[in-house]
Amino acid sequence: MTLENCILLATLLFAIGVYGLLTRRQAVAMLLCVELMLNASNLVFVAFARHAGGPGQILAMFALAITVAEVAVGLAIVLLLYRRHGHTAVDAASEARE
Amino acid sequence: MTTPALLAVIAVCAPAAAALLLVLAPALRRQGAPAAVACIAASLASLGAALALALGRSPGEPAVRHVVPWLQAGSRTIAEVGVHVDGISAAMLVVVTLVALCVQVFSVAYMRGEARRGFGRYFAYHALFLFSMNLLVVAPNLLQLFVGWELVGLASYLLIGFYFAKPSAARAAVKAFWMTKLADMGILVGLVVLFVSTGSFEWTATPEPAVATAVTLLLFLGVMGKSAQFPLHVWLPDAMEGPTPVSALLHAATMVAAGVFLVVRAHPLFELAPTTGDVMLWVGAVTAAFAAGLALVQTDIKKVLAYSTCSQLGYMVAALGAGSAFAGFFHLGTHACFKALLFLAAGSVIHAVHSNELAEMGGLRRRMPLTAVAFGIGVLSLAGVPGLAGFFSKDLILTELEGRAGWVPWALLLLTAFATAFYMGRVFVLAFLGAPSARAGHAHEAGLAMTGPLIVLAVPSAVAGFFGGGLAAYVGASYEPHFGLTPLLASTLALAGIVAAVLVYGRGREVAFADALRRLDRAGAVDRAWKLLYSSALLWLSGVLGWFDRYVIDGLMNATGFATLEAGSAVRVVQTGRVRDYALAVVAGAILLSLWGVLS
Repeated sequence: MTLENCILLATLLFAIGVYGLLTRRQAVAMLLCVELMLNASNLVFVAFARHAGGPGQILAMFALAITVAEVAVGLAIVLLLYRRHGHTAVDAASEARE
Repeated sequence: MTTPALLAVIAVCAPAAAALLLVLAPALRRQGAPAAVACIAASLASLGAALALALGRSPGEPAVRHVVPWLQAGSRTIAEVGVHVDGISAAMLVVVTLVALCVQVFSVAYMRGEARRGFGRYFAYHALFLFSMNLLVVAPNLLQLFVGWELVGLASYLLIGFYFAKPSAARAAVKAFWMTKLADMGILVGLVVLFVSTGSFEWTATPEPAVATAVTLLLFLGVMGKSAQFPLHVWLPDAMEGPTPVSALLHAATMVAAGVFLVVRAHPLFELAPTTGDVMLWVGAVTAAFAAGLALVQTDIKKVLAYSTCSQLGYMVAALGAGSAFAGFFHLGTHACFKALLFLAAGSVIHAVHSNELAEMGGLRRRMPLTAVAFGIGVLSLAGVPGLAGFFSKDLILTELEGRAGWVPWALLLLTAFATAFYMGRVFVLAFLGAPSARAGHAHEAGLAMTGPLIVLAVPSAVAGFFGGGLAAYVGASYEPHFGLTPLLASTLALAGIVAAVLVYGRGREVAFADALRRLDRAGAVDRAWKLLYSSALLWLSGVLGWFDRYVIDGLMNATGFATLEAGSAVRVVQTGRVRDYALAVVAGAILLSLWGVLS
C-alpha cells in the first residue's frame, strides 16, 4: 500500500467520523465516530512511520492508550445520561448549561 | 550594643512589654490590681534604666546611637529605627519616667473607686503611653519621633476618653484627637518635604534656606497642635475630662511638652529658618498672655491649671523662637515637675471633696496640710518666686527675649508672669484659705500612695533651678544665672501678683476686669471660629470630595463592573448546552485553522 493510499483511506475514515459526529444524536454512536477519527489519525501515524521512519508508531500506541481512557469516561457519561433520561439522545442533555 | 544604648532600649521596652502583656492577657487586665503592678514595675524598670543612663554619662560626652535599618528600598536605607542617647534625651527620659512613676503610684489611690476592669484598662493605657513617650524621646530621627508622637496622641485620646460613658468626655477625646491630628498633617507633609529635598529624616539634615523655612513651619504646625498653642489650644482645657492624674502626666508634664521637645531635638533644622523663629516667638507670647487671661476666670481648678499649662508652653515656644533651645528645655523640665505636682495636689483635693469647682473647696489648709504645702510650693514655683525652680527657668526665657521683636514679646511675657502669679494666688486662696465650704469640711488627707508622689515631686519643684548650670553643661549648652533688670522685674511682679491675689480674693472680692474676661471665656471665640471653619470650609470641601468619590471614582468602578457583566451576558447566548453545537464549533474551528494554515 502506498503512502498516498494510506492517507486517502485515513482522510476518508476521518470524514466519515466527522459526518457521523455532527449528524448522529445517540451518544454511543457519537462516541464511535470519535473512535473513527482517532483511528484515522493513528493510521496516518503508522503510515508515515513505515514510509519515512520516526516515532510515529509509539505515538499511535500513546493515542490508543488515551483512547481507552477516553472511552471509559465517555461510557460512564453515557450510562449516567441513560439513568437520568431513560435514553441516550444527547440533545436532551443541556442542563449543564446553567 | 553599648551599655547606654542597652539601657535606653530597656527604658523603652519595659513599658512596651507591660502594655503588650495587658493587651494579650485580658484576664490579667480585668483583675485590676495585677495590671497596676505590671505597669508600675515596668515604669520602675524604665526609671531605673533612665537614671543609670543619665548618671553614667559625663557632660559633653558624644551621642551614642544604636540603630537598625527599618525601611529599605533596594540597597538604600530610607529610615532607621533605634535609640539616640545624648544629654537631651537622657535628661528628658529621667523627667518623663520620674513623673510617670509618681503619677502611676498616685493613680493607685486616686482610681481606687474604679471598677476592676476600668482600673486594669487605665494602667494598660498608662503603660502604652510611657512606651510611646520613651520611643519619642530616644528617637534617632524625625520619622521614629513622629511614630512615638502619634502613639502618645493615641494614648492621650484613650485616656481623655477614659470615662467614655460620659458624653462630654467622649467629645473631649475626639476633639483632642481631631485638633492634634489636623496639626500633625503639618509634620507629615514637613517630613515628606524634608525627605524629598535632603533624602533623610535626620534633624541634622541641611536643606536649602527656603526649604528649611517651609519644613520648620510645617513641623511647627504639629508643635502648635500638640503643645496647645493659640489658636490650636482649644483641645487642652477640654482634655481635663480625663482622670486628674492623666492630666498631670499627659496634659501638663510630658505629652504636651513633646512639641517643645521636637523643636529642641530638631534645633539644627530650626536654626536654618529665622522666619520660623519669629513666628514661634509671637505665637508663644500671644498664647502665654491669652491663656493666662482665661486662667484668671475659670471656676474649675483643673481648667485653671490647663490654661496655665497652655500659658507656660507659650513661654517655652517663645524661648525656642528666640533661638534658645536650652531655655525652652530647662523650662520644660522645671514645668514638668511643678505642674505635675500642682495637678496631683489638685487631684488629691478633688478626691477629697468630690468636685472640681473652686467654690466647693476653701479652707482646706487645716484639713489637708500636706497637700496645701505641696500645692503652695507648686504655686510659688510656677509664679516664679525667687529661689524656686520656676524662677530660674522663666527668668532665663525672659532674659533671652530681651530686645527681641521690639521688646513686645518680652513685655507680654512679663505681664503674663504677673498674671500667672495672680491666678495661681487666686486658686490657692480660694481652695486652701478662707472658710471651708460644706463639702470641704469633711475632706481629709489620703494615704501615702497619694501624698508620697506629692513629696517626691515637691523636691525638684523647689530646688531644680539650682541645677540649671549642671543641666546646661550636661546637654552641651551654657547657662549662668544672672541677676539683671529682667529677673528683678519678673520676681517683683511675681510677688506683687501673689500679694494682689491674696488681697483681692482673701477678702472675697473680684477684680474689675474679671467680667470682661469671663465674657471672653464664655464667648469661646476660638472654639467658635473652629466650628465655623469646620461647618463652612471643611464640610463644603468634604462635600465636594465626597461627590467626586461617589460619582467619579465609584462611577468608574461601577461602570467597569457593569460593562463586564453586560459583556458576559452578551456572550452567554453561544453557550447552548447542546453537545452537537459544541462539536460543530470544534469542527468549524479546526477547518478554519487548517484553512488559515494552508493559506498563509
